[in-house]
Amino acid sequence: MTTVPLERKVLSENDRLAAELRAEFARHGIFCLNLIGSPGSGKTALLERTLASFAPDKRVAVLTGDIRTDADARRLARYGFPARQITTAGACHLDARMIVRALEGWDLAAIDLLFIENVGNLVCPTSYDLGEAAKVVLLSVPEGEEKPLKYPGIFFKSKLMVLTKVDLLPYVPFRLDDAIANARSIQPGIEIIQVSSTTGVGIDSWLKWLEQR
Amino acid sequence: MHEVGIAQSILEAVQTEMRPYPGALPVKLAVKVGAMSGVDRDSLSFCFEAIARGTLFETMILAIEDAPADELELSYLELEEP
Repeated sequence: MTTVPLERKVLSENDRLAAELRAEFARHGIFCLNLIGSPGSGKTALLERTLASFAPDKRVAVLTGDIRTDADARRLARYGFPARQITTAGACHLDARMIVRALEGWDLAAIDLLFIENVGNLVCPTSYDLGEAAKVVLLSVPEGEEKPLKYPGIFFKSKLMVLTKVDLLPYVPFRLDDAIANARSIQPGIEIIQVSSTTGVGIDSWLKWLEQR
Repeated sequence: MHEVGIAQSILEAVQTEMRPYPGALPVKLAVKVGAMSGVDRDSLSFCFEAIARGTLFETMILAIEDAPADELELSYLELEEP
């Protein structure tokens, strides 16, 4: 019997492409965020609110992933910035190769800020590096404060947690302090911002967070 | 459920690792899966069995080991050389 030591990552091919993307983003001075959250957590709504707040000369672009339809890209394209849909045809997450393909034909020199809206899912996108500077996890208030404990992987890997739909706090049994404590029990250093994309509450904190990167 | 994709990546990686050993039979592959990796072990075993069926890797044992944090790595491969 021969034993061969391997010591390599399972997703080494994805990681290789992600490293190439990261180098490419660095070369062009692009700050790239990977937005991850459940279906309906408000990823597209947050991006709509964000794009609406930018001046027309803002050098921002969006890639948005879904299993089917280009509904989100159409929603996001209304704001006048480049937005492209990635349809995964069944896959529950985006991988680095999809990003490489989706960026084809775009002038990266004209982009400073790139949002990647992942497929709505708190599990599968966790494993795939897309070359982003940071993962941002969205948790909407109606989902419940236990989400970070139930899906620890993504909260462990995210730099920022955006609590969305905070305008619903008076109407749902969501314990805000517990949600924050739960997220910090998984990752003590996680930053937390509370927003409502409907009322605009907290959007300034989010924009400031983006500005500081 | 992305474990099919993860299992596919494992299969491709082990096929690459087998290239220097023509004619060898893979006996056991150890994979390290951290609790924060987002990969479910039972689901991974199930998917690997499914995709390995009918291949050289059908009888290979996939041993899933504990690992810290979000680690997701191939640890070692045991094979029977001809």
